[in-house]
Amino acid sequence: MKLKKLLPLLLALCLLPAACGKAPADGGATLTVMGKPMDLKKSYMTRVFDRYEQATGVKIVPVPIDDSAFEDTAAKALASGKGPDILMHFHNADLDAFDVEKDFLPLTDQLWVEELTEGARAYCTDARGDLLGLPFWESSVSGCYYNKTVLDSLGLRPASTQAEFNALCAALKEAGMTPLCWPADGCAWMIQFALDPLFADDPENLAAINENKLSYADLPQVADMFTWIDAAYKAGWMGSDSMTTGWDQIGPVMASGDAVMTFIWDTWFYTDFTPGKYSMDDFALMPVFLNTTDAGTYEGGNLNMMMINKNSPNVDTALDFLAFCASPENYNAAFEGISTVSCFVHQTTNIQSHMVTDAQSSLASRERASTASSRIRGYKNDDVVSIVRELFSGMISPQEAVAHLDASRLRQTAPAS
Amino acid sequence: MKNRLKKLLSPIAIAAVLLISLLIGIFYFNYMSRHIYNDSTAHLEEIYGQVNRAFGTFVEKNWGVLASWGEYLSLLGNDDPDSVAAYLSQNRDYWGATKFYFVASDGTVMALDGQRYTMDFDGFLDTLMRERQPIVSGESMPDGQEIVIFATPVTSGMYRDFEYDAIAVSYSNDDLAASLRVDAFSGLAKCFVAQSDGRVLFSTQSGGIVFANYLKYLSAASDLSPEAMDKISADWAVGAPGIVECRIGGEKQILLYQGAGYQDLILLSVVPSGVVSAGFLSVQRITLYVLAILFLLISGLVFTPLVVSSHRRSKHDQKELRYREMMFDILSNNVDDIFLMLDGDRRQVEYISPNIERLLGIPVEEARSDVRVMEKCSVGGDAVIPHEVLDSIPLGGSITRENEYMHQTTGERRWYRLTVYRTSIQDVEKIILVLSDRTQERHMNQKLQEALDAARSANEAKSNFLSNMSHDIRTPMNAIVGFSVLLEKDAGKPEKVREYTGKIMASSHHLLSLINDVLDMSKIESGKTSLNVDRFSLPELLSELNIILLPQARAKNQTLTVYIKGAPPENLMGDHLRLNQILINLLSNAIKYTPEGGKIEFTVSEVSQAASQFAKLRFIVKDNGIGMSEEFQKEVFSPFSREVSALTSQIQGTGLGMAITKNLVDLMGGVISLESQLGKGSTFTVELTFALPDEAEADFRARHMIKRMLVADDEEEIGRDIQEIMEGSGVEVVAVTDGKAAVEAARQAQRAGRGFNVILVDWKMPDLDGIEAARLLREAIGQETPIVALTSYDWADIQEDAKKSGVSAFMPKPFFASTFWETIEPLFSDPSGAADQLPDDKVLEGLRFLVAEDNELNAEILSELMDMEGASCEIAANGREVVDKFVSSEPGTYRMILMDVQMPVMNGYEATRAIRASAHPDAGTVPIIAMTANTFAEDVKRALDSGMDGHLGKPIDMDAVKATVGRLLNGRKNAARAEGSE
Repeated sequence: MKLKKLLPLLLALCLLPAACGKAPADGGATLTVMGKPMDLKKSYMTRVFDRYEQATGVKIVPVPIDDSAFEDTAAKALASGKGPDILMHFHNADLDAFDVEKDFLPLTDQLWVEELTEGARAYCTDARGDLLGLPFWESSVSGCYYNKTVLDSLGLRPASTQAEFNALCAALKEAGMTPLCWPADGCAWMIQFALDPLFADDPENLAAINENKLSYADLPQVADMFTWIDAAYKAGWMGSDSMTTGWDQIGPVMASGDAVMTFIWDTWFYTDFTPGKYSMDDFALMPVFLNTTDAGTYEGGNLNMMMINKNSPNVDTALDFLAFCASPENYNAAFEGISTVSCFVHQTTNIQSHMVTDAQSSLASRERASTASSRIRGYKNDDVVSIVRELFSGMISPQEAVAHLDASRLRQTAPAS
Repeated sequence: MKNRLKKLLSPIAIAAVLLISLLIGIFYFNYMSRHIYNDSTAHLEEIYGQVNRAFGTFVEKNWGVLASWGEYLSLLGNDDPDSVAAYLSQNRDYWGATKFYFVASDGTVMALDGQRYTMDFDGFLDTLMRERQPIVSGESMPDGQEIVIFATPVTSGMYRDFEYDAIAVSYSNDDLAASLRVDAFSGLAKCFVAQSDGRVLFSTQSGGIVFANYLKYLSAASDLSPEAMDKISADWAVGAPGIVECRIGGEKQILLYQGAGYQDLILLSVVPSGVVSAGFLSVQRITLYVLAILFLLISGLVFTPLVVSSHRRSKHDQKELRYREMMFDILSNNVDDIFLMLDGDRRQVEYISPNIERLLGIPVEEARSDVRVMEKCSVGGDAVIPHEVLDSIPLGGSITRENEYMHQTTGERRWYRLTVYRTSIQDVEKIILVLSDRTQERHMNQKLQEALDAARSANEAKSNFLSNMSHDIRTPMNAIVGFSVLLEKDAGKPEKVREYTGKIMASSHHLLSLINDVLDMSKIESGKTSLNVDRFSLPELLSELNIILLPQARAKNQTLTVYIKGAPPENLMGDHLRLNQILINLLSNAIKYTPEGGKIEFTVSEVSQAASQFAKLRFIVKDNGIGMSEEFQKEVFSPFSREVSALTSQIQGTGLGMAITKNLVDLMGGVISLESQLGKGSTFTVELTFALPDEAEADFRARHMIKRMLVADDEEEIGRDIQEIMEGSGVEVVAVTDGKAAVEAARQAQRAGRGFNVILVDWKMPDLDGIEAARLLREAIGQETPIVALTSYDWADIQEDAKKSGVSAFMPKPFFASTFWETIEPLFSDPSGAADQLPDDKVLEGLRFLVAEDNELNAEILSELMDMEGASCEIAANGREVVDKFVSSEPGTYRMILMDVQMPVMNGYEATRAIRASAHPDAGTVPIIAMTANTFAEDVKRALDSGMDGHLGKPIDMDAVKATVGRLLNGRKNAARAEGSE
């Protein structure tokens, strides 16, 4: 092992005995929380740590591990029995480094589970149905953000089904508008939104595809999706500049009204959108429709979870800490003024865009955890970009696009020779 | 004329018929379109009237049903909510409704399952509650589903603690749409129920409603003018019916609307125009097709006989044309004439014979598309026939010209005669071009002309030759005869005798050289001359030239300097004698035509060239003599050509030397060139290529251990040449340009411990001559370092003085590395032996010769001449006799044998072979020299091949005899020394 990777591990192993379950100088208990340095320093994390320490006298000891060696270090620490009480990590393919069943305590039966939004709960639940951790993180909602001012002026209403979306695109096109901004130059997250329902709604599909017992070709919705994308592009619903539209052009296109809808996330409006003819107030949210589910879908953000080390001597204290975090009083205090989509149903102090707030009832039944991109092994957005471009160029058919997507996945997961 | 008129009228008639047909068609199409539109809209109105009535019936039925349920509910009361729910559920399902609602006066509704919502009933709540009128409205449910609500006021009641004043049922938009959808227009028709302000309550659109307000959409997406939109809005406000055609998204649509008769609702239908009138358009199309077919049939009946007749005629003509073309193609393929026919106006090719590809290498299609491609073939690159020339040909006229063309594929050039006819065929102007191959004819003429020229030239040459020969032979003969007469007359006067014999000898020599040149020229020109290629030494050749030519130059007080540039290879394969002849001719001419005190430079250099097994040498003979006129330069290489001027008239010459030289250079595959300016001199340059013998270069430096060398020559260029020649040999060459500098350089070098291993001193230097320089050098550096005198002169005269002044050896100019090494080698091994190398003018003294000569007179002359040189001769009359005399002699009796070749009994070659084959102890070593009038290279070769060692031409020249004998004796001496040293 290279020294660069070894150092953080040695450092962590040296620190852990000093931190784990050992009484602090004033005689109270301690809880060690291992995470990436920047994650542990988030304001809402330090706020809730402080509140808990003040409320209980239990000392929270953050154990920062360098990003590059995080999974390796944390997994080894847990396996050696010297792991932290609580581990902060995202629920994605990186959890493969851990023995989830042996390392983490299932939290499904905790009382505070009801406090979680559907999307947050889905994100933190594994294939067996166990809730792995408490999502305590800032988040966003990805969906179809549309220019409601333009729609109103045209006497059109947002779609609630795939058929309506098709009719809406046709009506917008008839009215001389570009219905959908599809940045085919380097962007492919739109596809992952569409695939979420196939794998988030059916964890067996996820497990099967990760074990190579299932391919995209076995799921007819994937071919339906590419067929729809191909037809929409050819019908002009994505405009004539889609192939040259990339990340940098989405903002100007939407702000000018050159396109009416795009598949993006709410925090993008805070970070990358500069108002033009239209501002953020002109936009609203509806589900993404890419022909994989009739009712459409939203993708929740990637959430950092606090997971309890099953083998920690301080499991009870850790459970108490998580319950503390999940109480409305504490999470509202921690997230006050933070721009994020709510993870908790009674979250009120965070700053949430009107777009997300207005779409709450729609979100409630359609929000899904990010699954395709983060949890399908071998899913590679760069390859998806190429596939969509080849499809648009007429080099491949929708069926061939499915085959290429499978080939990409197998290529990425093939063992290094 | 008649044909022309016919041709003109036909298109006009056809155009008129087509125009009339088109106008009728347009009129009919417009009429039909108007008719179809009216019929279509009437049809549409009828269909949507039915839809409207169906929807109205559906509304009325729902309201009626709800009213009856209300009455029943008031009878049931509030006591048994389960019975109420069961009754309502059953009836709801029976009527196909989605849900049943109790409606409170504030718009709150409660479903049978107890779920409560708030609805605004599209603003019709007041109508329902206050005006107590039944309503129909659209509603978006929280889950996004679009529903249609039918509500009617009922007697107030209570259901599960919910106080209601009206009841309602809902249908999903999709379900209701399915029941009312119009299938008449391929499912492409849309039906809306909208409020008068445009808000859409309900739509039959598949998949749901995306139109919130259709008037807004229409205003934004259609091409309707604001006025038209105002008209529609006004119609909708009062529920007036209307029908409008417009474009939405580029497609023509028909909008049909009418008031529903309740709640100010409007029923709107939107159908693509093309779909509405599709049926009628189909009828229209069919009608048009039928008319078109009828038109075509009638036209066919009328025109078919004409067309068939015309077609038959045309077919016949075509067939005839094809037959003729085929015949013509076959014919032209078998002749060497190319035929082209061009359109008179456009100059486009109408016919081209296929043999153009064979004869000129131009593909037929290429020539057909643009006749100008033929310009590529024209050797001059000119147009085949310029336009202005074509235009100048009168109709019916023709022109002819001859030109040379090059085949585009093979590059072969051939002469063609081009005849261009400007003619008219069936009143159409045509240009016909015929190219006839005249190459053979032209070649024949050319050959005839050449033969004629050659014959004339030969005749002229013969006359010139005879005239020249007559003059050139008679002149010396006249002198010989004349002075012989005078000699006889003045025999008693010794001075006169010496004068006359001298002049007779000079004339004889001139006559001899003339005869030699004529015979040589004759042999070369007859192609009988061959080259005797053998290995030869360039330094030796140049040394021989020096020996021959230097006395001539000295006699005229001229400077003859030989320069060697670079390091030309010293050993070459070639005809040494012929090369010698070329260079002697050039150099002796230079001496001859350069006034006294003039300067002649002879430069030898190597010209770089690719093949490593060959060397290309350049010989330049440059003089500052009388030069040649430009006219004469053109004739200089022609036989008997001599420039006639006051200067040349005094100079003897045959006029054959340069012709022979040129022929020999040509024979050797070389080139000779001349630059000359009258009064300033001439420069002849000869370039010849020689094969290099296969031999390894010896490491001379390793053998001699010479590191430093001093060269003193007043000509700086010679010093540089020597440095260049010795470059790479490892010998450092220091060059100085006078004797004093040489002495000083040698002294300083010795003082510094870097003394020179050998010193070369030019014998003629302006400040110190060679003797003085050698003496001073000996004083300065002692006796050990060899001093070699470098001289272009015969050193016999200076030999004694040179030895006394300290010169170790002599070396001829120009400087050659091999000569240098050969010269100094004995000095390093045996410094005292150098004197033996020096030539001896008295080489014949004391020698005894065996001479084979069948001609008594010649034998006598030779005996006398030998006697004069101190040598003795024993004469044998033929080859047999000479062999016998030699075989029977004591060893060492004869120092050398002079052998005539053409002898009776046994010729010289046979005799030589017999001597060499004999058992006599001297058989293998005795030098045998051919002595013959056969002086050609082949004769020399034959002599050497038979075992002889040298060759002397007759008449005998004693200087040549001495030189040859001396060379042979020195060679034997060297060989003996070499054997002794081994």
